[in-house]
Amino acid sequence: MSGHMASSSNGGSGSGDSGAPRRNSKRPKYSKFTQQELPACKPILTPKWVVSAFLIIAIVFIPIGIACLLGSREVVEVVERYENECIPPAYANNKVQYIQSSVDKTCNISMTIPKRMKKPIYVYYQLDNFYQNHRRYVKSRSDKQLKSLKNENDTSSCKPEHLATNGSTIVPCGLIAWSLFNDTYSFSRRQNNQSLTVNKKGIAWKSDKQKRFGKDVRPKNFQGGGLRGGGDLDATIPLSEQEDLMVWMRTAALPTFRKLYGKIEVDLEANEVINVTLGNHYNTYSFNGKKKLVLSTTSWIGGRNDFLGIAYLTVGMICLALAIGFTVVYFVKPSYHSWSEALICGAWPRDLVIQPFYHGTEALDRTKNAFWISFDGIHLAGTSHLICNFNAC
Amino acid sequence: MELVAWLSCGLLGLFSSNPIFKAISHIILTKTSYRKGLAFSLSERVLECMDKLAQAGIKIWLLTGDKKETAINIGFSCSLLRQDMKQFHVCLSKETESKNQLKDMKEEILHQIESSYQVMCQDNNKDSPFALVVDGRALEIALKSDVRGQFLQLAVNCASVICCRVSPKQKALITRLVKKHTGKTTLAIGDGANDVGMIQEADIGVGISGMEGMQAVMASDFSLPQFRFLERLLIVHGHWCYKRISKMVLYSVYKNIAFGLTLFYYEILTNFSGDSLYDDWYMVVFNVFLTSMPVISLGVFEQDVSSDVCLQFPSLYRQGQRNIIFSWSRVVGWILNGIVAASVIFLANVYIFSAAAFRQEGHVADITQFGAIMYTCIIWTVNCQIALIITHFTWIQHLFIWGSILLWYIFALAYGALPPDYSQRGFKILTESIGAAPLYWVATFLVTIAALLPHFTHIAVQRLLSPMDEHIIREMQHCKKDVTENQMWLREQRNSQRSTQVGFSARVDARIRSFKEGLSLKRISIYNKSATNTPFYISWTSSPLFS
Repeated sequence: MSGHMASSSNGGSGSGDSGAPRRNSKRPKYSKFTQQELPACKPILTPKWVVSAFLIIAIVFIPIGIACLLGSREVVEVVERYENECIPPAYANNKVQYIQSSVDKTCNISMTIPKRMKKPIYVYYQLDNFYQNHRRYVKSRSDKQLKSLKNENDTSSCKPEHLATNGSTIVPCGLIAWSLFNDTYSFSRRQNNQSLTVNKKGIAWKSDKQKRFGKDVRPKNFQGGGLRGGGDLDATIPLSEQEDLMVWMRTAALPTFRKLYGKIEVDLEANEVINVTLGNHYNTYSFNGKKKLVLSTTSWIGGRNDFLGIAYLTVGMICLALAIGFTVVYFVKPSYHSWSEALICGAWPRDLVIQPFYHGTEALDRTKNAFWISFDGIHLAGTSHLICNFNAC
Repeated sequence: MELVAWLSCGLLGLFSSNPIFKAISHIILTKTSYRKGLAFSLSERVLECMDKLAQAGIKIWLLTGDKKETAINIGFSCSLLRQDMKQFHVCLSKETESKNQLKDMKEEILHQIESSYQVMCQDNNKDSPFALVVDGRALEIALKSDVRGQFLQLAVNCASVICCRVSPKQKALITRLVKKHTGKTTLAIGDGANDVGMIQEADIGVGISGMEGMQAVMASDFSLPQFRFLERLLIVHGHWCYKRISKMVLYSVYKNIAFGLTLFYYEILTNFSGDSLYDDWYMVVFNVFLTSMPVISLGVFEQDVSSDVCLQFPSLYRQGQRNIIFSWSRVVGWILNGIVAASVIFLANVYIFSAAAFRQEGHVADITQFGAIMYTCIIWTVNCQIALIITHFTWIQHLFIWGSILLWYIFALAYGALPPDYSQRGFKILTESIGAAPLYWVATFLVTIAALLPHFTHIAVQRLLSPMDEHIIREMQHCKKDVTENQMWLREQRNSQRSTQVGFSARVDARIRSFKEGLSLKRISIYNKSATNTPFYISWTSSPLFS
């Protein structure tokens, strides 16, 4: 059937059988591509493939899941929520007023280290219910202005938070910079009062330092818009060295997020108590946000996150169960392939299979036809065929 | 012509919604179109063609301008009519015709139609079918609006319909009426200028080029040089086209739902403010570059069974007629698959890249990395999904599928290399942040497999519990059963042939039946004549010849 080649000439005789060799043939050039005969592999989903696919997934996933879980378990993480503790009792019902007043906001909390933490220990602050991914907020920045001094007045996307009360432009403009986080933390060991230095260098992405934030841009009129939204910036330091700002301006994806504050470059022993003197300046009380301080080590997998390991193990177990289930089912209810083999040797329902076969010449003559009749279910040495010739049935 | 048919099927299928998409139910052809091959070797092929079309479940009507006797002879010669068929003749008698009274003529026609219909209803024997032969003058009356309904009801229930002395206008009218009355897809094939009306009226018009000029060809949707190519056009290319278009449409729905739903889910977490999870350019290239080429390769090259199997098993064509692959349950199923995939991708990524650091250097994932990671998961899932539904893999499909995935990484690298003014969120995304994070690759692997697992389980269960015809056929071919157990292969072919009333195989069936009846009569007479306890007789009757 794949040999159908149209070889008709241009509107000439309709029968189109092979005539003179030098006919004007319109046959298109044969190529496997145009005749859709490209070599192809046609995968079939046999029981073997189904069971082996599930088994392979299970065999690959379960070890990976265990490795991920181990990697996550070796991370030591200490989380301390402090925004309610750090309100003095006098202001317990007026938190917003407290945070906006100029009362001393120093607060002392302590953190207990459960297991030995190897350096470097990362210090994060975590905010909850803070939508850094709000569209209006995300758009309110001017990358051009951050990058170079000559674009200082390119503040169209920052409007209306782009001008200070005295009418001059704010650098860096926009809501993201305006809401800069400004809680401060300092750590000391309780037992010997030794203070732990927090390394605040190297916390931002290198591409930010080199490419996004300019070396010649310095903060100007920051928080000068009448309403204070967060912390201050040192006007003498160029933006490419303001790592807190760079970390803050990388807007988070989810409403609960952490940002890197600094690194502690010493080991901390198990059961050690760390005193934290923090400056509770940032106002999350207006919107019931939570503030948490996090000390964490990292492993090859990053911070502490059991979900990945558990997910791998779950999917691996499910696939193992499915593999076993399908194996059982395939034995109980065999597929077509094995079913047919059983039938060939056993009870084959008797049926006549008629395959008409014409002797080319007079197919239209109803009186002369030859029939092949073959029997099913009878496996003799060769095949058993009977040829009957009828005349005028 | 193979090439023309293939391209036209493909293009027509892409740009129109109806014709090839729904398989043909009726073919209306004119006498001269099959007369192409009066030379014996070709007429054999024409017979084969019509037989296959009948086995594929297509009803065939014959419209001709010749007189009734000629038309009936043609019907016999191409097996539309058989000796054992009851023929209903609807024609005007000479007196009524000469009187030319419309009312009388209508009455007579109506009477004939009704009596024929009654005969048909009373006779429950499936084996002796009915044929309808209508004269041109009678047709004119019968197609009038009040008689039309009954006439069509009678005609549609007959195994074959032959109309003689039909004018071109009546051909077009019949086509339109059959189309409207049955609601099924019709194809008209003809080769002369008088067939143009019919060709244009039908859902699909096929013109045969050749003896009578090119008018039919110019008015048609497809043109063939010979009638016998119609078989291949419908049964091979029509079937493939149906499968291809269905798969393409369903997969495109799935792909876009899987992609768009992640964006919607993210809005829940942005306080519905409308911030987008992905960079703008990621979203532009999604449908244009990164997921379109596999779909195109699916739509152009997919074959569920090879062409010779299509021709051996004409009843596979009925899948298109019954619209199995594009039924509502399938559409809803694929939409659900998209929803599940989007949910798995989104939730997994949200929990994996939660607040904690994602790299050993302590960095936390922000919106740029989160978006890029989720986007990678979607690209992998969507492209591997199409790899699961393609059944015919050429090097082109492999190139497009795996190439699309690779193209995403190349795009991310190239986009990230642009200065941050242009690349916004994508600046150095792979080289600096996520490329070196093991969590990224590990998470992509998990999410892809987990998102595809429901569909894979579903098709494994479906193959087990209710395999479709082409699965069984392919499995038999895969195990080489068509070669080693040829009889079973033929038997399955036989089973797939719909019992038809027209075509030479039906004629053969009728012959076998009469042969069997004759043999059983002879057996009874032998029984009556001679002793029935001889061993010879017992062995004779217990042999399979007398099942």
